[in-house]
Amino acid sequence: MSTEDKKKGKNSEEMSRRRFFNLIGWGGLLASMGGSAVGTYKFMFPTVLYEPPTVFKIGKVTDFGMGVDERLKKERQIWVVRNERGLYVLVSICRHLGCTPNWFPDQQRFRCPCHGSIYDIYGNVRGGPAPRTLWRASVSTDPVDNQVIVNFLSRQDPDPESTANGLIVEEAPREVAPYFIKSA
Amino acid sequence: MADFFENLKNKIVETQVWKSIFRHGYPDTDTNRALVMFTNVLLHLHPVKVRKSALRIRYTWCLGGLTFFMFILLTITGVFLMFYYVPDTRSAYQNIKDLQYAIYFGNLMRNLHRWGAHAMVFLVWLHMTRVFLTGAYKPPREFNWVVGVLLLVLTLLLSWTGYLLPWDQLALWAVTVGSKMAEASPVIGYSGPFGKEMGMRVDNDIRFMLLGGTVVGQSTLLRFYVLHCVGLPLLATLFLVVHFWRIRKDGFSGPL
Repeated sequence: MSTEDKKKGKNSEEMSRRRFFNLIGWGGLLASMGGSAVGTYKFMFPTVLYEPPTVFKIGKVTDFGMGVDERLKKERQIWVVRNERGLYVLVSICRHLGCTPNWFPDQQRFRCPCHGSIYDIYGNVRGGPAPRTLWRASVSTDPVDNQVIVNFLSRQDPDPESTANGLIVEEAPREVAPYFIKSA
Repeated sequence: MADFFENLKNKIVETQVWKSIFRHGYPDTDTNRALVMFTNVLLHLHPVKVRKSALRIRYTWCLGGLTFFMFILLTITGVFLMFYYVPDTRSAYQNIKDLQYAIYFGNLMRNLHRWGAHAMVFLVWLHMTRVFLTGAYKPPREFNWVVGVLLLVLTLLLSWTGYLLPWDQLALWAVTVGSKMAEASPVIGYSGPFGKEMGMRVDNDIRFMLLGGTVVGQSTLLRFYVLHCVGLPLLATLFLVVHFWRIRKDGFSGPL
């Protein structure tokens, strides 16, 4: 409140010239600051990404042998697993703190070197600190060239059941589209 | 409404937190006005006394202040650019392109940085000219002139190191030519006077030290990036503080 306004009485609703310019000035300042803040916020979200694609083809189902295929682990962070019923893709990120576990064919277990999480071939937790089972990425078949398309970011993550053997998820309901490709 | 804000202001101003930060009242008495200057780290750089004539715009033209404003602007926009720029010969040019054409506000930040840099060099020269013509370098201010010359050199070095970062033809050849000049320095450059006698070769003289190699390449880019973003700004800040401190101690010069 300027002294000018006080003379007129605090409740005078009329817009004096001084008050009008005051509002315009502060309004302009706040608007420009707000605009800068919005611009700064938007600047921090890149419009161009230099990252590997999150949806990619990995070849035909028949290119993979039975069991765990580790060929794509380094490049794509996935294990391709095939059994007599079909094919699914495990994301090779440990559910404890995001390290990369290793596959030990002799034990038929994924073991994480960092804190000792142990998973079986289905991704069920068989030991260690991991709170949930391994993710399975969604897969589909390209109708043109029959290649398997993996969507790395669309993942299956069912609530596991705590048993004496560890955190287990029933296998049958897991093996459905889009997380499983049935062998013809 | 006004009463509400008045009450809110009083509530905030009376808290211990507020009082611990601002250890003085509203500057409407002489005591508080003096306390503001004494207890505020930025405002205490003001001289104790300022001659009215020294504040005339047509005397200083605000050139020093404008130069400092450019320095602040360049620091801020430079930090913005650092979020997207990688000093790698394979990606540097592409990063600048992205800033220019893809990233929201990137174009504004890049252009502010570039134009601001040109403006700063220009304003430093003008400021120096003004100081010379008004005789503001005379005792007791001789040393501040020396600090100012160091700041001029740092400004030109900042400009030159920033020049290389876009990694385009202009940048590459400017630094190639510039480093050729360093090579011709006496004693420390291998093609300069007494250089060969001092045992200077193409791979151990001042140019080699500047470029981090015998040609302008990846190590040059990294070197110039570190100098441009960290080394030289820190040095410039140090000398700026000394520069302002001495102005604060000596007071502004004024028309005689």
